[in-house]
Amino acid sequence: MRKRLLLFIALGWVLLFIGDRVDELRVYQGASIAVYTIAIGSIILLTGYSGQISLGHGALMAFGGYVAALCVANASLPLWFAFVMAALLTGIFGGVLGFAAARLSGPYLAGTTLALAVGLPSLANQFSILGGEQGIYLDPGLPPARLGEDFSQYKWFFWITTLAALITMFWLSNILRSKYGRTWRALRGNEVAAQLCGVHTGRQKVLAFALSSGLAGLAGALLVLTISTVSPSAFPLSLSFALVTGAVVSGIYDLKGVMLGAVILVIIPEIADSVASRFGDSLKIISTLPGLLVSALLILAVLFTPNGPGEKLHHLRHKRKAHSG
Amino acid sequence: MYKFISSLLIGLSLGAIYSLMSISLVLVWRSTRVVNFAQAGQAIVSTYIAYEVVNRTGSFWLAFIVAILAGALLGAIVDRYFMRPLFKRVTTGPIVAIAPVVATLGLLGILRAIVGFIWGVELKPIAAPVSLDGYSLGSEVLPFAPYNALVILIVAIVLIVLSLLFQKTNLGLSLRASAFSPEIARLSGVRVNEIRTLGWAIAGAAGAIAGILATPTSYLSPNSLDILLVFGFAAAVIGGLESMVGAVVGGLVLGLGVTFVSNYVSTSLIFPTAFVFLIVILLVRPSGIVAGKRSRRA
Repeated sequence: MRKRLLLFIALGWVLLFIGDRVDELRVYQGASIAVYTIAIGSIILLTGYSGQISLGHGALMAFGGYVAALCVANASLPLWFAFVMAALLTGIFGGVLGFAAARLSGPYLAGTTLALAVGLPSLANQFSILGGEQGIYLDPGLPPARLGEDFSQYKWFFWITTLAALITMFWLSNILRSKYGRTWRALRGNEVAAQLCGVHTGRQKVLAFALSSGLAGLAGALLVLTISTVSPSAFPLSLSFALVTGAVVSGIYDLKGVMLGAVILVIIPEIADSVASRFGDSLKIISTLPGLLVSALLILAVLFTPNGPGEKLHHLRHKRKAHSG
Repeated sequence: MYKFISSLLIGLSLGAIYSLMSISLVLVWRSTRVVNFAQAGQAIVSTYIAYEVVNRTGSFWLAFIVAILAGALLGAIVDRYFMRPLFKRVTTGPIVAIAPVVATLGLLGILRAIVGFIWGVELKPIAAPVSLDGYSLGSEVLPFAPYNALVILIVAIVLIVLSLLFQKTNLGLSLRASAFSPEIARLSGVRVNEIRTLGWAIAGAAGAIAGILATPTSYLSPNSLDILLVFGFAAAVIGGLESMVGAVVGGLVLGLGVTFVSNYVSTSLIFPTAFVFLIVILLVRPSGIVAGKRSRRA
């Protein structure tokens, strides 16, 4: 555990160093990567470990985003407190939801969370406090003055999100190795066998769902920080799908690849943009290509690296060894 | 009273469309144990093809037939050339449990993108074959139009044809047998794989009809049928996901519930209503209104 802590601290220093050397756009993308890392981590916890599948994590992110924005805009609470609240309240919401949904398996849960993803953002138009289509502006405040004059807003975002992502991943990698992680894996492997070993399956599933929701809420709050407004259109159905894709591509049963998925999700719109500009900036291409890439990637990942790129590499190395030996 | 009758009628015609979508999900689920999230994508493709036919020929009915055929063909192709190879390829590892969900989701995205690429993402209308203006009752004009009546009529005909097919023909017997127990059906000489593909084709046709019937009262865009998918799924779960009767009952219950809530409470509560329905049913009666004996273990 101490070794892992040192590893994470070292990784943090490396990221800090990189953040100082690249231009503004890359720093901003780095912040997005950190946000997606947390969100994908929450899916890996849920799907990879406890075996439940959610197509509605975009909606949970929206929930967290609204909580954070309301905390800052209406109650003028400090930023860090708003993030804690976002994670906490979304976790509780997820727990309540999980009470109904976590008793379900596979497609039932998928469909229910899909309904959540379609339905929840439209609630924003129902209550005036949520600001309708325009949403709520979240004032992130200026970076602390002691960081210097030329310390930009984006770099501030990058620091906050990266720190959050590092802490989250450290916590996640610990809990997945703890007795809880083992219990969840047992649950995923064989529910009946887990039950026979004295695992309270229902309770464990709700717990996993609640923790995963809390992480999604935190990711949502951080996403809102980087785009500075929370509105229904920031959390479309395609966000939920993209998160699942990111998780499957990074290897849904392993936390190690989590950044790979996040990087891919951030790169895809950029690829789409550059392809579109090559073909004369057609609206058709810009609006459809990201979806096409995400979906194609999802299917290819399921077909060719169903248990993650890590396993595939391991497999290849094994094969080569067998040949040479 | 007037409001009540109009809500009832509108709810029925809305529920009829949900029922069809729900049936197409149930048909696939029964035979393959896959909730076909790509159904919305298949339906959007066939509905865009119908849009093209309406534009070229001006005939709604020709477009209707073409949409059904396209939907059926697409359903068969998806099963034969996508799902079957997938099941053959992905057989080990913990991914097996979630592979169907993830794969149909990916397919949904791809079909949507293809449609957006060909026809663009702007909203497109399909003109209704009969009037969309409501019947008048005395001095009041009901929101219930001849088109809504037509929807109910068409869905009723489709349901009768389907139930005849499933109850009275040998083909229907094979379909039911291979859904109930593929192994025993195979031993009794049913070509289970072909029959399964046929089931996907019928499901695709039902979804295509739902898609084209839902479009004239709103607009067509690459994701305009996602809502229908969600409601169809909710209806299927309300009905128990196993039974076609349940799917129809679920669709009607949901259609009526949603319409009454939006007429009496607020129009923007449509989604939350469907979601609450879904959660309440799952909590109170997880096996659906029309309960089958099998437990909810996918």
